[in-house]
Order: sequence, then C-alpha cells, then structure tokens
Amino acid sequence: MTDSKYFTTTKKGEIFELKAELNSDKKEKKKEAVKKVIASMTVGKDVSALFPDVVNCMQTDNLELKKLVYLYLMNYAKSQPDMAIMAVNTFVKDCEDPNPLIRALAVRTMGCIRVDKITEYLCEPLRKCLKDEDPYVRKTAAVCVAKLHDINAQLVEDQGFLDTLKDLISDSNPMVVANAVAALSEIAESHPNSNLLDLNPQTINKLLTALNECTEWGQIFILDCLANYTPRDDRESQSICERVTPRLSHANSAVVLSAVKVLMKFMEMLPKDLDYYGTLLKKLAPPLVTLLSAEPELQYVALRNINLIVQRRPEILKHEMKVFFVKYNDPIYVKLEKLDIMIRLASQANIAQVLAELKEYATEVDVDFVRKAVRAIGRCAIKVEQSAERCVSTLLDLIQTKVNYVVQEAIVVIKDIFRKYPNKYESVIATLCENLDSLDEPEARAAMIWIVGEYAERIDNADELLESFLEGFHDESTQVQLQLLTAIVKLFLKKPTETQELVQQVLSLATQDSDNPDLRDRGYIYWRLLSTDPVAAKEVVLAEKPLISEETDLIEPTLLEELICHIGTLASVYHKPPSAFVEGSRGVQHKRLPGSAGSGESVESPDVASAPGVSEAPPAVIPSQGDLLGDLLNLDLTPPTTTGPPPPSSGMQMGAMDLLGGGLDSLLGGDLGGSPAMGGGFGAAPAAMPASFTAPVSGGLDDLFDLGGGVGMPMGAYSPPKTVWLPAMKAKGLEISGTFARRSGVVQMEMTLTNKAMSVMTDFAIQFNRNSFGLAPAGPLQVLTPLSPNQSIEVTLPLNTVGPVMKMEPLNNLQVAVKNNIDVFYFSCQYPISMLFAEDGKMERQVFLATWKDIPNENESQFQIKDCHLNSDAASNKLQGSNIFTIAKRTVEGQDMLYQSMKLSNGIWLLAELRVQAGNPNYTVSLKCRAPEVSQCVFQSYEAVLKN
Amino acid sequence: MISQVFILSSQGDHLIYKDFRGEAGSDVVNLFYEKVTALTGDQPPVVMRHKDVHFVHVRQGGLYWVATTTADTSPFTIIEFLNRLTALVKDYCGSLSERSVQMNFALIYELLDEVVDYGYIQTTSSDILKNFIQTEAVSSKPFSLFDLSNVGLFGAETQQSKVAPSSAATRPIQSSRDQGGKSEIFVDVIERMLVVIGSNGVLMKADIEGEIKVKCYMPTCSEMRIGLNEEFSIGKSQLRGYGAAVRVDECSFHQAVRLDEFDSLRILRLCPSQGEQTVMQYQLSDDLPSAPPFRLFPTIERDNGGRLLMYMKLRCDLPPKSAGINVSATIPVPKGSVSLSQELSSPDQSAELQPQSRAVVWKIPRFPGGTQLSALFKLEVPGFSSASMLEVGPVSLSFELPKITATGLQIRFLRLSPFQPGPAQRWVRYVTHSDSYTIRI
Repeated sequence: MTDSKYFTTTKKGEIFELKAELNSDKKEKKKEAVKKVIASMTVGKDVSALFPDVVNCMQTDNLELKKLVYLYLMNYAKSQPDMAIMAVNTFVKDCEDPNPLIRALAVRTMGCIRVDKITEYLCEPLRKCLKDEDPYVRKTAAVCVAKLHDINAQLVEDQGFLDTLKDLISDSNPMVVANAVAALSEIAESHPNSNLLDLNPQTINKLLTALNECTEWGQIFILDCLANYTPRDDRESQSICERVTPRLSHANSAVVLSAVKVLMKFMEMLPKDLDYYGTLLKKLAPPLVTLLSAEPELQYVALRNINLIVQRRPEILKHEMKVFFVKYNDPIYVKLEKLDIMIRLASQANIAQVLAELKEYATEVDVDFVRKAVRAIGRCAIKVEQSAERCVSTLLDLIQTKVNYVVQEAIVVIKDIFRKYPNKYESVIATLCENLDSLDEPEARAAMIWIVGEYAERIDNADELLESFLEGFHDESTQVQLQLLTAIVKLFLKKPTETQELVQQVLSLATQDSDNPDLRDRGYIYWRLLSTDPVAAKEVVLAEKPLISEETDLIEPTLLEELICHIGTLASVYHKPPSAFVEGSRGVQHKRLPGSAGSGESVESPDVASAPGVSEAPPAVIPSQGDLLGDLLNLDLTPPTTTGPPPPSSGMQMGAMDLLGGGLDSLLGGDLGGSPAMGGGFGAAPAAMPASFTAPVSGGLDDLFDLGGGVGMPMGAYSPPKTVWLPAMKAKGLEISGTFARRSGVVQMEMTLTNKAMSVMTDFAIQFNRNSFGLAPAGPLQVLTPLSPNQSIEVTLPLNTVGPVMKMEPLNNLQVAVKNNIDVFYFSCQYPISMLFAEDGKMERQVFLATWKDIPNENESQFQIKDCHLNSDAASNKLQGSNIFTIAKRTVEGQDMLYQSMKLSNGIWLLAELRVQAGNPNYTVSLKCRAPEVSQCVFQSYEAVLKN
Repeated sequence: MISQVFILSSQGDHLIYKDFRGEAGSDVVNLFYEKVTALTGDQPPVVMRHKDVHFVHVRQGGLYWVATTTADTSPFTIIEFLNRLTALVKDYCGSLSERSVQMNFALIYELLDEVVDYGYIQTTSSDILKNFIQTEAVSSKPFSLFDLSNVGLFGAETQQSKVAPSSAATRPIQSSRDQGGKSEIFVDVIERMLVVIGSNGVLMKADIEGEIKVKCYMPTCSEMRIGLNEEFSIGKSQLRGYGAAVRVDECSFHQAVRLDEFDSLRILRLCPSQGEQTVMQYQLSDDLPSAPPFRLFPTIERDNGGRLLMYMKLRCDLPPKSAGINVSATIPVPKGSVSLSQELSSPDQSAELQPQSRAVVWKIPRFPGGTQLSALFKLEVPGFSSASMLEVGPVSLSFELPKITATGLQIRFLRLSPFQPGPAQRWVRYVTHSDSYTIRI
C-alpha cells in the first residue's frame, strides 16, 4: 500500500468520511486518516473544518501519529486561534515527557503556532527546556526563543530569555551553541543598537572553539556571526584568520564562502607587508577555484562572488585565468559571467592567451555568447593598451566572416577603441565602410555613423555615405537620428563647401519634422551655433572628447566595499546592497570594511566644526519666503539616476546670444562670401524659437561651455577651509559643509554631505540661484550611492560661469538649493572671488600701463593688509598661485612696488599695485578697475591668499 | 534563513509545501512556477526575485526543489541545502521521482521538520536523522526480471554477481534494517576531464576534477579505512622522489573524515553514515599524468562540386585493454548545411546531421584503446563561402572511461572495523567522464 492514494480522493463528502475515520478507535485507521488530511492540505484543499477531530488524535503515544498531528496544527492553528488553545494542555504535558524527542517536538511545534494567546502558556515549558539535560531539547528551545521573539518581542525580554540564550553560547554542545548564535544574531538584527551579541575576545574564542566541532550548518552561523566582529588590532585579526583558514577546505561551499567573507573582511586590517598577508592571499585562490567545479547553479553564484573579489583584490586570482575559460557545455549564464571575469583579470601578461580564447568564442553557435565575446575583445583593447593592435586585427578578422551579428558587434566595439585611441587605427575605416549595408541594428548603425562623422575628412565619400542614411531618417531609432545629426554637422564643419544642402536637410528634418524633443533641441542648438558663431560651433562640435576610461563597468567603490561585507549572500548575487531588496529592519544596516592597520579611525566623518574661513558672514539659511525662493523653486531639480552616466540637468541660458547674427561668413570665408541663400536658410527657423530655452546637452558638449579653461595651471590656488553651510538642525539631518576651489582652470564646489538623520538619504540634486558671476553647476551632483545614517560623503561639483546673472549683495554671495529624498533645503554661502580669476590674466606691460592710466582715479581704492610677514617675492609667488599675476616690480626707497593684473571669468580686468616695505608687516594694496564694486571682494581675497 | 521549502513536479503540481516562518503565503508557489517557466535561455535561473521573496531552486530528478527567503541569506547555503535534501530524499525513498516523493510525503515532511527549524538548517546527516525519523519509506521498485539475473543456477555464484548491478545503489537506506543480511558498501572514484586541444595538436588546457563517493548500506559500521595510493601527493611542492606519482593540486574532505593517518599513510578514516556521501573531492589543473585519451586528425576541404568534405581520424590513446564507451563527437558545421553523406569505418558507428544545433554528431558505442577510427562526411552547403569554413569546429567529445582514473588514483584497500558480522559486500568502482573535451580545428 502506498501513500499516493491519498492524493487521489476527490469525492464529495470526503470531509465527513475523514471525520469518521479520525474518530475511529483503531490507531492504524487514525494514522491513515491524518495522512489523508495532510495530503489534502499539501495540494491546497481547505481541511480546517477537521481541526477539532485532528486535535483529538493528539493524545497518543505513537510518535509518528503525533508528528503528523503537529504538522497539521502548525498549518491551521493561525486560522483557528480559539481551537488552538485546546491543544495547549497536551503541549505542556509533552514538555514534561521522559522522552527527549517528545519534549523537543512539543517545544518546536509550540513555537510554530503563531497565535498570541498561546505564547503565555509557552513561557514556562520553554524556560524548562532551555535548561534541559538533553542537548537536542536545548538546541530546539534556543530556536524557539527566536520564534517567540518574532511573535512577541516584549515578552521575550521580560521573561529574561535573552540572558538564558546568551548563556547557551557557552554550552558544552556545539549544536546548541550554533543555534544560540543563530537565534541571537537574528534577534540582534531587529535591535540594531542593543548589545545582544556582545562580541568580545572571550566570546570570539568560544565561538572559534565551537567552530571546529559543530555541523557544517552550525559552522555557517558561527562564521557569519564572526564576520560582524571588528577585531581590536591586526594581531587579533591575524589570529582569527589563522583559525578560520582551515574552513576553506571544507566540502560544503557555503562554509567556504562564509570563511572567505570573514577573511576578506579581516584582511583589511592586516598590514600588506606582513608575510602572513601574502600567505593568506595564496590560500584564498584554491577554494575559489574549487567552487567552479560544482553544479552550474553553484558555479553561477560563485562566479558572481568572484567577480566582486576580483575587483577588490585582483591579486588573489591573477594566475588563475585558465579556470575561467568557458566549457562548451556550460550554461549560457555561466559563460557570460566567466567572460566578464576574464576581462577583469586580463593584463599584459596573459592578454595573448585571453585573446586567443575570445577569438574561438566568437565563432561559436550561441548568438548571445558570441556577441558578448566580441564585446569582450573590445574591452580588452581598452583595458590593455599593448594589446590594442592585436585586438583590432582580431576584430577585422571577425568582420571578414561577414556573419551579420558579429560584424555589427565588432563595429560597435571598434567605435569604442577609436574613442580610446584616437587617430591610431583609421586604416581600418575602409574595411568598415564595406559593411555599411549589412548593418541593421540601431547601435551598430549609430556607431558606424559616428565613425564616419568623426573621420569625415579622411573618407572621400563621407557625404554620400551619410546621405544614404538620411533617406530613411524618420524610420531610424532616436539613437541613430541623433548620431546622424551630429555626424552631418561635423562633416559640414570639416567640409563646408560641399555639404550645405545636406546639413540644411538634416537640420530641418530634426527640428521641423521630428516629434522627439531631444532631437529637436539638439537640432536647434546646432542650428543656432552655426548661424551665430561658426568658430564657436567648430570648437563645440569638433572639440576634443575626453578619452573613455578603461574600467567604465567597475562597481562603484563604496558599494563594492559594502558588497564585500556581504559575500556569499543574495546581495553578492544581485550586486545590490541588501537595503535594495530586503524589506523591514532585517539586514538593512550598512556594513563597512574595517580600516587598515593604523588608520582604523579614519572612517569617522571629517571634522565638521573646522575654523571659519574667509567668508566672514556665517552661513545663512534662506528664510522660506520672499521672491528669491520662487526662482529656486521654479528650477527643475532632477535627481541624478544611479546607473550609467547621468544626463546633465543644468539648464543653460542661451538668450544672451545674438540669434540672427550672420557670423557664418567667417566660417565660410572667401569660399562662399556669405551667400544670401545660406543666411536666409539659417535665419528662418531659429527666429521662431523662444528667446531663451533650456536644453539637455550631452556630456561632451557640456564641458565645452565651461569657459574657465585655458592654460591648465596645476599649482595650488588658494582654497579656504571647509565651513558648515547648512547645519543638520535646519535640514532634517543633512549637514553640508564645503568650500570652493579652482583646479586646473575649473571652479569647483567641494562639499561634505553628512547624514545625521536616522534614515537613508538618496536622490541628491543641486541648483543655484542667479548670482553675480553666473556660477552654475556644470553637471549634476554625483552622489550615486544612498547616504546611510552617520555616513558622510565628499562631493566635488564642477561649476561653470555661463548661468544666469543677477547682482547679489554682497557680490560674492551664492544661494543654493539642495534637494534629497526628504525635502528641499536652501542656504547661502560666499565664495572667494579669487576662484574666478582666470589663468590668462597676465596683461602685457604696455597694455597695463595704458589701462592703468585710462581708468579714472575715482575708481581706485586702497586697502591695508595688516600682519603679513612675507617678503615681496614670496607674496608674488603666493598670489600667482591664485592667478594674480605680477607684471612688474619696482623698488623705491626700500619699498617694493608690485604691479599686478587679474582677469575675472566674465572678462573684467583688475589692476593692482601692492606696496611692501621691508620690516613693516602692513601692506598697502591699490586696486583699479572699471567696475569698482568688485574691489571689496578682491581685497578680501588678497588678504585670504596672503595670510594662508 | 529559509522561509519556505517546496517541491514541484515538472508540470507545476505541488508535491510538498512547508512553511517555516510564516513570512510569505502559499501563493508564491504558483508564482515561482510562472517565473521559472517564463525564463529565457540566457537569464540565470538560480536566484529569482518577486518583491520581497527570493527563490532559490535546483532541478533534480525532474522536480523543482525550491526554497524561498526574505532576508539576505546565503544562496550557497540554500543551494547546498537543497542538494543535500535531494540526496536525503533519495537515500530515504530509494530514488528521486515525482512518484517516490508523492508516495513518501509523510516521510519527507518529517525529514523537513528535523532538518530545518524556523528556517535554520539543523542537520543533514542521515546518521543523526535516523534517530528521529519514524515513518517507514515506501519503495516503488517495480518487479523486474532483471533482478533475477544475478541469481545463479542452483544457487551457484555466477560471473554476473561479481559485478554490482547498477540498481544496487538505488534503494532506501532504511530497508537495510529489515533485510538484515544484505549489507553492502560502494566506493566510487569518479573523475571528470576538462580538456582543450588546440588546432595544432597542442594540449592547451587539461583539468581533472575527481571525487570519492561512499554509498553505505550497512546497519552497523563503526569505522572504515580507505587506503589511497601511497605515492599520492598534494600540491606541486610535495613530489616525493620521482617516478609515477599520483598528484593533485587541491583536495577537500567530508567533515566526518579523520585525517590522522592521511599524511603518512594516505589512509582516510571515517564512519560512513547511511546513504551516499562524498568523502573527498580533488582537482588537478593543467596537467595530465598520461596522454589525453582521444586525438583527432581532421582534414577539411571543398570538392569541385562545392561540397564540404570532412575527413576525420580519431585515435584512442588508452591502454589496449581499456576502452572508451558511449563516445560521441559533435562537429559544428556551417549554417545552412543541408544533407550529409557519410562513410564510417565500422558498422556499429553512426552519424547524423542535426540542423537545429548546426552539427554532425558521430557516435561510437565502444572504442578500444590503441585503435583508430575514421569517418568521411560530405556536406551540401548552399552559399558556401570562405567564411563558412570558420564555422566548422571546434569538435567536442563526450565519453565514459570505465575502470580508469585519469589521475591514476587507486583505492589500495577498503577495511571495515570492527569485523562485520555476516558477509559485507564491498565494491570499488572507477569511472572517468568527459566534462568538456574540446578539440579545435
């Protein structure tokens, strides 16, 4: 007779039959009946009506029957709380049973009956069982505390079960220890601040001893608990590591991974020059390699973890490249992960081997895998410069196969290679052009168009090629349309004579016939640029692009640190922090790696109470009324997206430009002589545009508007120390302190954001109000990871000076709005005007003299700088660092006269005469400027620069 | 922490459903089935997520074994656990199938109750569990004539009974309690080869993964000792003298194995628990102690009629007394190949063109060592171009080498102590499989 017959009864009236059988006198019949009930329960039938009858069977000495009844109880007690009370007496009685199996069974089941009323009856038996002589009962009772805590946390604390549980950590039986640790760890997670799992060297020692004796699953609990401990110093850390290392050769991969997690974390504390550090690195490789011989499921999970480990410590697996080569019978998801790791491990030493493999993969059958392999070749070229040439020739070989999808992928990656190594491999363009017709995927078409546009001057028939794409312009995807627009404008700027028609055609297609706002806006920008100032257009469109970085796909370092703390968990498979997918209090505490030896305290938030700098006025939070606020609120605060390069959200005021100016002539020069047809063609459409508009501009363009550039001056411009701009009290826990600096010709706002609230902050964005010099963020605020409580983050925001202008009082005042997921906050701060001194502020001597004379004397102002003990040369050097240039020096009667010039970002020149008398700590500055309002600010800067 | 465990048949029928923590409803079972059946080929199926519930599953015996969790639990733990659970169910019910699970649901519920408590895994050792489990397994073995095959004429021991029938290892462990006399122990040495041979015949990669498995069906067995080759060495530095040492790079052991005699005498001591367990795992990277078992000499050309001619010579370099069995070579061919004509060197071989996987599959049931086979394949490939040539290869082989270990690992002896009452059958079996054996063209 088999159990399967239980699943086949589907007749009506079945419940009645079962009822009768349950009440039968015969034990066998009863057991059969309960089995039938449970079978129905499994397939989802409602058999709760039988509750009283089943509970009646509970009073039995047959363990098998008892277990079946308990199984039923656990499932239905919740829906029948009143009836469940009926069972309590039996439970209490069973907890006293001489048979430990029955005692344990009773206490286990009672904990699973999630009925509030039962819990009070549970306390006494549980207390007894926690002290039971049989370890099997004790370990079951330990888990029961965790169950009870989940139902009624207060009760557990009141009854003192937590202390009993803590005592169980010192139990003689390792199983009991393991369960106690597991239960305490879980309870501690819901009380993040309680010191439940009081981890000190003594308890750690106990845990490490139990580690050697308990079952594999117990070892996992203990290792996971150890991972939360922070050793006091590197010596303790080393001794724990030494005792954990033997776990690396365990056959259970979960034990191995938990051990790896502990070691990866504690390794941070070990000094790198220690011999043991090197030994440990060597020991980590073999177990990780062993994981790759497991089932595909485990392999996949292992590979996701190895991916993290390789990013953190590539040295561990640098010699193990071969194990990541794919097998032909690996499932595709394992193959793709292996490819990713291969690229991360690629280096000059092994690149030949890797490329040979990748080339093989590129001829396999599976389309997805082949595509990934081709991409991987491109990534190798970008990562390992020495291999670029070989990669390109490999890609060319692949293009020769004419396999459609291979060709398309190859073209996409060749575009990236061009971005990394410009002007190096154009010889291949001819080959690429041959395959123009076979491209049917948007990405490949866009890549090809980009290449044609970028190298238009070297492709004889570039105009024909682009024209052929233009025919089906409206059927193309946005990506291709945008690329085509840009490419044709590039082509026009390079070969203006032959391509006017083409460019007009594409501009009108983009601006008049398209519904896509991105496309239209970009069209308008080009149109206006071309019609206003073709030289500027050239600078903008044909500007040198920043080289793409080799590791664009690395995980962001703070996230990586957190993920390393979660090795072997779901977080490491999703590559997301646990807070992103676990709800409630459990597991959302952000973990961080301990600091390395000697710098253990450096993780603390930086000193926020630093001395006030040059901005004498204390930072003021703008009151929440007044007209100013309106301006700020109207601005569109778009939080940056956390994945991929965020689109810059700064709106740019273009209204100031002369729309209809016929500047095109200067571009076309003598060739065209300003043909009226052209002028008309350009003039018409822009006239219809609003006088000022904001447009999203892609990253490359954005930099171009940053007018600060010029000769890069890496020397240290003066930057005041950070001051608190926005105190946490006024901003719901967000504290911002910051300063301004000019680095390599770019004005930057350097801020420290500190989260002093209890919840995580995300979605940061920033906007400025109009200000005297048109300062505006050149990009979005880059806070990519959520800011967790007590965490602080350093952000550098590059600024430009093309924002809207409005005179402020004082002149260097800046009003800022910062938004996060909680609210929008306002504050104002003052920047030292020396930030705006341009690098090209050195005037010709003759010009200086003439200008000095030319500026009326009433514009001159004089200041004293007291207590400055520098000689004139040192002062001159110091000032030069902040772009205040000394043009001439004269010595009259022991007094040094320095003549200096500086230029503000908006083009205003300032002339100064600095008088330094040897032995006299007081300097005199005379300033002359056509806009005398700035003098006060400039004087402040002088003083700040000289005294710091 | 495991929230729920359930077992589904391949059609999505609920066979077992056990909720440990009351965190998610039973509706997630159907949700899981919808999700898993909707997966496409390149999506990793291992870990799936629906809102706060994370599914981790393995597929064994045609069934889905699923665990859910709502916390940031270790997927390694869950996968290892599910694998152990399948092994346990197999040990207790004799085999893994929808039928055996259905028939033994009460037993499996009881097992689950002991194995996991409130989502914490307690133990998966059948030795400990046998103290708690009350329900008897129901075996589903159908009556079969094959079972009679090892009953000798007039009770005499026949040749056949020297070889353990393959079904001997698939029976419930508990039945040994009743059958009493029939106590057996199996020690299997299983190795898998991962080989890549370059187009120039150079061995590019050669890894071996191996394991020693013990299947124990003995009511009382306090200790057994497994002796490995004495010259067995681990790691590169440990080579003792020279000569034909058996070397592996790395090995790991079951936690029940005591290694006090391992360093000096290469003896593993353990008290095997009932059922199956992997006692030792080892691996050898980038080294083969002997020549690779198979080599391929391909010649590929086009004939005047535009057909693709592939002349394949396959040589087996095993010792003459051994043989490879179930050898199958998969040769990728250009896209759009339509017809295949073949000339094979012996009648037991077969070959066919599988248009779906774009490959010719050449099967050789038995391939003795030291011999050579050849085959000529002629393919019609419309639209053949020079690039099509690139689509030919690499050839992958799958095979089984019975009674051979690639590393040379041998079991020197197998001793049980204390001396067993009654006859205890001891079986030692060796086999090497191809894990991935690729020959590039």
